[in-house]
Amino acid sequence: MTAPSHPTASGPTGVGPTDSGPSGVSPTASGPTASAASGAGRAAPDVAESVPVTGGPARPAPIGVAALPGRSLLRLGPVSVQIRRRSVLVAVALVVLLLVAGVLSLSLGTPYVAPADVLRALSGAGTPYDLVVFDLRLPRLVLAAVAGAAFGVAGTLIQSVARNPLASPDVIGVTQGAGLAATVALTSGVAAVLVAPAALAGGLAAAVLLLALGARHGLAAQRFVLAGVAVAFALRALTEVVMLTADPIDGLRAQIWLIGTLAGKGQNETEWIARTLLVLLPLLIWAGWALNSTALDDDTARGIGLRPVARRIGLAGTGVLVAAMVTAQVGAVDFVALVAPQVARRLVRAERPPLICAALVGALLLVLADLAGRRLFAPTQLPAGVLTAAIGGPYLMFLLLRGRRRPS
Amino acid sequence: MLSTRDLVAGYDERTVLDGLDLELPADAFTVIVGPNACGKSTLLRTMARLLTPRRGTVLLDGTAIRDLPTREVARRLGVLPQSPLVPEGVTVADLVGRGRQPYQRWWRQWSEQDSAAVDRAMAMADVVGLADRPVDTLSGGQRQRVWIAMTLAQDTDALLLDEPTTFLDLAHQVEVLDLLHRLRVERGRTVVAVLHDLNQAARYADHLIAMRAGAVVAAGPPREILTAELVRDVFGLHCVVVPCPVTGAPLVVPGLTSPSLAPPAAPAARTPADDAVTPLVGSHPSKGI
Repeated sequence: MTAPSHPTASGPTGVGPTDSGPSGVSPTASGPTASAASGAGRAAPDVAESVPVTGGPARPAPIGVAALPGRSLLRLGPVSVQIRRRSVLVAVALVVLLLVAGVLSLSLGTPYVAPADVLRALSGAGTPYDLVVFDLRLPRLVLAAVAGAAFGVAGTLIQSVARNPLASPDVIGVTQGAGLAATVALTSGVAAVLVAPAALAGGLAAAVLLLALGARHGLAAQRFVLAGVAVAFALRALTEVVMLTADPIDGLRAQIWLIGTLAGKGQNETEWIARTLLVLLPLLIWAGWALNSTALDDDTARGIGLRPVARRIGLAGTGVLVAAMVTAQVGAVDFVALVAPQVARRLVRAERPPLICAALVGALLLVLADLAGRRLFAPTQLPAGVLTAAIGGPYLMFLLLRGRRRPS
Repeated sequence: MLSTRDLVAGYDERTVLDGLDLELPADAFTVIVGPNACGKSTLLRTMARLLTPRRGTVLLDGTAIRDLPTREVARRLGVLPQSPLVPEGVTVADLVGRGRQPYQRWWRQWSEQDSAAVDRAMAMADVVGLADRPVDTLSGGQRQRVWIAMTLAQDTDALLLDEPTTFLDLAHQVEVLDLLHRLRVERGRTVVAVLHDLNQAARYADHLIAMRAGAVVAAGPPREILTAELVRDVFGLHCVVVPCPVTGAPLVVPGLTSPSLAPPAAPAARTPADDAVTPLVGSHPSKGI
């Protein structure tokens, strides 16, 4: 293999100021880049309108953008990250909402704890409500937030690979795999501590089956979703067989598990989900960047030097891992993974679901659903899984209706 | 620049190219023509490493392309596929920015070079005024210029385009071809395109490759190789080739295929090759070959 001109040589020469004459346009962006970028971003359209560019030879670039329009560049030494300004705003708003919902969730219930007392308890002042706030409500609240975020992340990854807003772990069979295994465990009288590991194994087995079915065609979007739907239906049928032939009381327990509930769960489950997310963190950081190209078709992606199949397998694999783990811990909570990415995408107005905002929407949704499940028909407690669809569905409908009128 | 050695490629069971040896000249505008399903797109996709050949090699500057990291190939070779999927809601500047992918990593997502290259590419393709528009709201001609801008942002020496003028009206076709021509003349880029229109190929190409049934029938400057015989051999169409009144390049005019299309009360000998036309009346030769 004799390579006459090698990569290192072609890179710099390619990008260098070879053919743009006055290439001193961009250095404006060398200082505090974020602020420079926001200014340039706003100025860009005006400049573009006023300069009649005819595509002539070596015309000086008219826009001194330091990042693409609508984004800012964050720099730290050799590291540079592009961030959509709108997703920062959305994320901040979501965090605020999440905190408000969290305080409400700690406050409402029997006994009622006034929000002021909740805040005082949280600040470590030592109140008579410490037991209620810290031991009874906080673990469940944190679990709702972490599990919701995990569902949002899983849904984002799977929807991006499937290029389909209807794809989510509960559509492509991962949830059903976990559900079947959990149902078998719950109805066969094994120790309760084994239910979650069994569900995790079931979800992963379904994921392996799904990836094997889809991988034959490079995990092409259509095939991936179809394979998933087939796996999901088969597993659901099996689950029903197991449930109907089991002892009715065991069957009911399995039913509640399948709907998904946070009742009686807390720190232990949170730790498992958090550990999974932490282990997968490098992959998730990579995914946040890799997701950018999932909207391109394979030929275009290969043309710009990507390996779309490997990328899809990495993204889908990460997504199903997260989904299987969180489902194993809190049950088959419907709809969060499906709706959170879509809501986040519409809030940010991006072409694909943004990872962090989707996680925040998922967290908010599950916290609200759990709160509503606890309080709406109190003292009867509804599983959170019943209410996620009831809250998320109408909101997505609202966004869809509003989106249609949005001028482009 | 680009060449192929004993290239065998196809889809599933069907072999489209069977042992193709080809040399593409550097710093030239090469146009590949041929009838539908003759393998011209397969050839382009294989050369652009979008399709893995079953046998044989594609050489990029003397190195087998499959031995080069795909990111490095993307810095030397830009590709515009036939009908790229337009991502919903992506703005023009954003899409053009994707062309910088081969220079980026997740920890180095943007640089001054990226900005400069995107600006340059948008200016060259004349899409600066569209920078903030979503690509899916643009017309076909504008979209095609945006896609070309994306490949230009890659800053490659060579550019491969699969039917870049399909679905465009005549004015936009000319616009795209003029852009490719300028890239070759003003920037010294190597441009390779699959085109359907022989006359456009004759006008713009420095090097013409005519393919039929997976094989190259003729290759060379259009003024030397584009004849009525070649068109008959390649397309099975009888035609008259006259000098283009504007450029002098060969101009292909299809022969008379139906008596009802004959000019009304026309003087008998208006076309110089009238004799080539007469035997065709009433038949449809393109079906036969």
